[in-house]
Amino acid sequence: MISRRFLATAAAALLFAGCGGPKGKHPESVVQRRLEGEPRTLNPILATTDPENVVLALVVRNLLEYDENLKLVPGLAERFEVSPDLRTFTLTLRDGLRWEDGSPVTSEDVAATIRLLVDPKTPALSRKSYWDGFERVEVLDRRTARVVFREAYAERDLAFVLPILPAADFVGRDVNTNPRNRNPLANGPYRLARWDAGRTLELVLNTQYDGPRPEPERVVFRVVPENASAYQALLSGELHEMRVSYEQKTRLDADAGAAARSLVFDDLGYTYVAWRNDFPIFSSPKVRRALTMLIDRETIARTLYGGLATPASGPIPPGLWPYDPSIAPWPFDPKQAEGLLDEAGFRRGTDGIRRRDGKPFAFTLLLGTGSELQRQIVEVIQQSFRKAGIEMTVRPMEWAAFTAKVDEGDYEAAILAYSLDPNPDLAVYWHSSQKAPKGWNSAGYSNPAADALMDRLRTTFDRGEARKLYGQLLRILHEDEPVTFLHYTKARWGISKRLENVRTSPLGLFLFWPGASAWRLGPGHAPL
Amino acid sequence: MLAYALRRLLAALATLAGVLTIVFLLLAMAPGDPAALAARSGGARPAAPEAIAAYRRLHGLDQSLPVRYLSWYARALRFDLGRSFQDGREVRARLAEVLPATLLLNGCALAAALLIAVPAGVAAARRPGGRFDRGSGALFDVLFSAPSFVLGLLLLLVFSGWLGWTPFFSGPELGFRGIVLPVATMGLGALAFLSRFVRTCVRQALEDPAALAGRARGEGETAAVFRALRRSAGAFSAFAAILVPSLIAGSVLVERLFAWPGAGRLLADGVFARDVPVVLGTTLASGLAVVASSTAADLFSAWLDPRLGESRSGGAREGGDAG
Repeated sequence: MISRRFLATAAAALLFAGCGGPKGKHPESVVQRRLEGEPRTLNPILATTDPENVVLALVVRNLLEYDENLKLVPGLAERFEVSPDLRTFTLTLRDGLRWEDGSPVTSEDVAATIRLLVDPKTPALSRKSYWDGFERVEVLDRRTARVVFREAYAERDLAFVLPILPAADFVGRDVNTNPRNRNPLANGPYRLARWDAGRTLELVLNTQYDGPRPEPERVVFRVVPENASAYQALLSGELHEMRVSYEQKTRLDADAGAAARSLVFDDLGYTYVAWRNDFPIFSSPKVRRALTMLIDRETIARTLYGGLATPASGPIPPGLWPYDPSIAPWPFDPKQAEGLLDEAGFRRGTDGIRRRDGKPFAFTLLLGTGSELQRQIVEVIQQSFRKAGIEMTVRPMEWAAFTAKVDEGDYEAAILAYSLDPNPDLAVYWHSSQKAPKGWNSAGYSNPAADALMDRLRTTFDRGEARKLYGQLLRILHEDEPVTFLHYTKARWGISKRLENVRTSPLGLFLFWPGASAWRLGPGHAPL
Repeated sequence: MLAYALRRLLAALATLAGVLTIVFLLLAMAPGDPAALAARSGGARPAAPEAIAAYRRLHGLDQSLPVRYLSWYARALRFDLGRSFQDGREVRARLAEVLPATLLLNGCALAAALLIAVPAGVAAARRPGGRFDRGSGALFDVLFSAPSFVLGLLLLLVFSGWLGWTPFFSGPELGFRGIVLPVATMGLGALAFLSRFVRTCVRQALEDPAALAGRARGEGETAAVFRALRRSAGAFSAFAAILVPSLIAGSVLVERLFAWPGAGRLLADGVFARDVPVVLGTTLASGLAVVASSTAADLFSAWLDPRLGESRSGGAREGGDAG
């Protein structure tokens, strides 16, 4: 009896829900956006992943913001003063700032946020490293706060691209279980109206926001983990934006009837093959250069990336200010490469395999699963190496297991990609003090001259001087080729033809000001 | 019967405890540290060691493996499944959000498959080698061999993309239109299994001496089929119970494809992030579903054929086959 009643209720629920019929077209002012995964938190201090940051970018403003050229511009703070010794920072908030509940945004909020961030109990994984050497924060008046560090650091001002939390909700409460982590208090152009777990997050205009009012009244973020389904929705106009694969970008360009167009721009990504520098066959820069010169990166860029990548010359992509265009990438030159290998003592045997002291030039390259493109690139590299008498075995690994190996430095070679942030400081990747497993120098690169330059750059505040030092550092890294810098890659998006005023930055479409808050929805394009 | 049911239940719970232990150990031994993975998700630069230490302390990752294991069990016995490493929320709350959708999806898929498989299997069994038998066999084989992801994507392209009849993003709140594609994707895959099984059961029952005797007594074919169905109901329910785990496993892909907010996605994300509480909690929930369905099937069989229960109470075969 019970089960029959239950079934009847379930059937009725289904029918009634079905009676809603097809939903009408989206109102003109609703932007439909895609999230590749569900945000884990909407606490901006704890947020780490893209889905979290792109939602928060519309809900909370930072004290300072990046503009589309990665310059720092005023955000919540209208004034930002730095002491001559670069240890003391004084911030003055804009007058009239309010949280979405109408209460004022004050310097107490700034101080509480910073204290929370540096609290040893707070697992602020992506923000804490900028606050190394923090000494104290003082509230000078309602709108002004002063932050003092024990030591100066050239890129310290980037720490103030910092969202703030309402002190009233966080002081004296556990940050990890705070209800505000799922229901953030907005001080940006939108506020969170609804979070339907696993499905959608809906933002509506924040009426308390004092800045320019965005045109779209609502932004609906839909959690769509699968790229293939998201792409179909983009084509039909159900989604207004998504990151597309190289192959999808090509298809989108060929489909004039689609409701979306492609958008391509330089971001801060590059790919590389890491060679463990302490592994005997990779210990010589000559050999590493030879390996780079055996790889036809131009052809890979043209065929596998559809032209949306350029051979890399080093670890600073064109979107970052220290990029030095005068350093040309190593050319594809198998003949010269084979000469370098001969010089290094790796000579071909009768079987065509190169050997040194009787040991063959053979190694295993780790490949993290999940990227079909990387798998194809590795195949091309494998063939080129085989022709040159080098045996490279490819070992695909599940992503978590792969990153564990890389973090430990427990591999011979691995193909990897970085997506950098606007901080050009290279020490975390290339300084010998940061060798794995302690740091991210997982290739185990070490050069005292490079170390000395990176140390000097930490405290070189003059941009002209820093540029010179970066030039020297990049040349050393180029000559040493600690890894094979493969390509600077371009970002690819599919964007609704209805969306106007979509600006790009090396940080993508969202994580700069005004980002997606400046988007407008045009009158429409009839979907297929 | 009651004693049998109790023993069956205890065996099932022991199986479940064993499965949870194996899952815990596998996750613990698998390379990939949850704290390091979370830190890597932070993007461009390494997390500060203090932040990683705070994360470890918060999630008890600084404790030894046996302590973590035992404390998870101690809490689970009080219905506290811990907090997710990924978002710090209670696993119980996360399961409550996603389980109804997954149960609905799996339940509807199984029901839909049964609704088609039983008549199709019976029809095929009545005329073995006939046109319907051969035609349906070929069709179901194609459906069975098509990976559910490909089948689902095709359905999505046709019904959501070209015809616009169904939404791109499924969900139970959209009613029939919001559920039909994922249910069809999962149900069609299970159809081949089920219909072939029904066909074999009914065929055997129809060729049974009892059926021949019935026919000799002048019993009509419909009555014979119904009797055949009733006779094979035990084996049939056991088979449907066996399908539950494969349906639950299959729903991981289908949920991802249709953006269905279910437990499959929760589990997959949990495994990739080495989120032990989420993986254990989801395993417990799906394990309970499997145990419940196989126990129900066993009890149903025992009820249909009391000799089964008696022989087991005589100690002929102890232990469970659930899980």
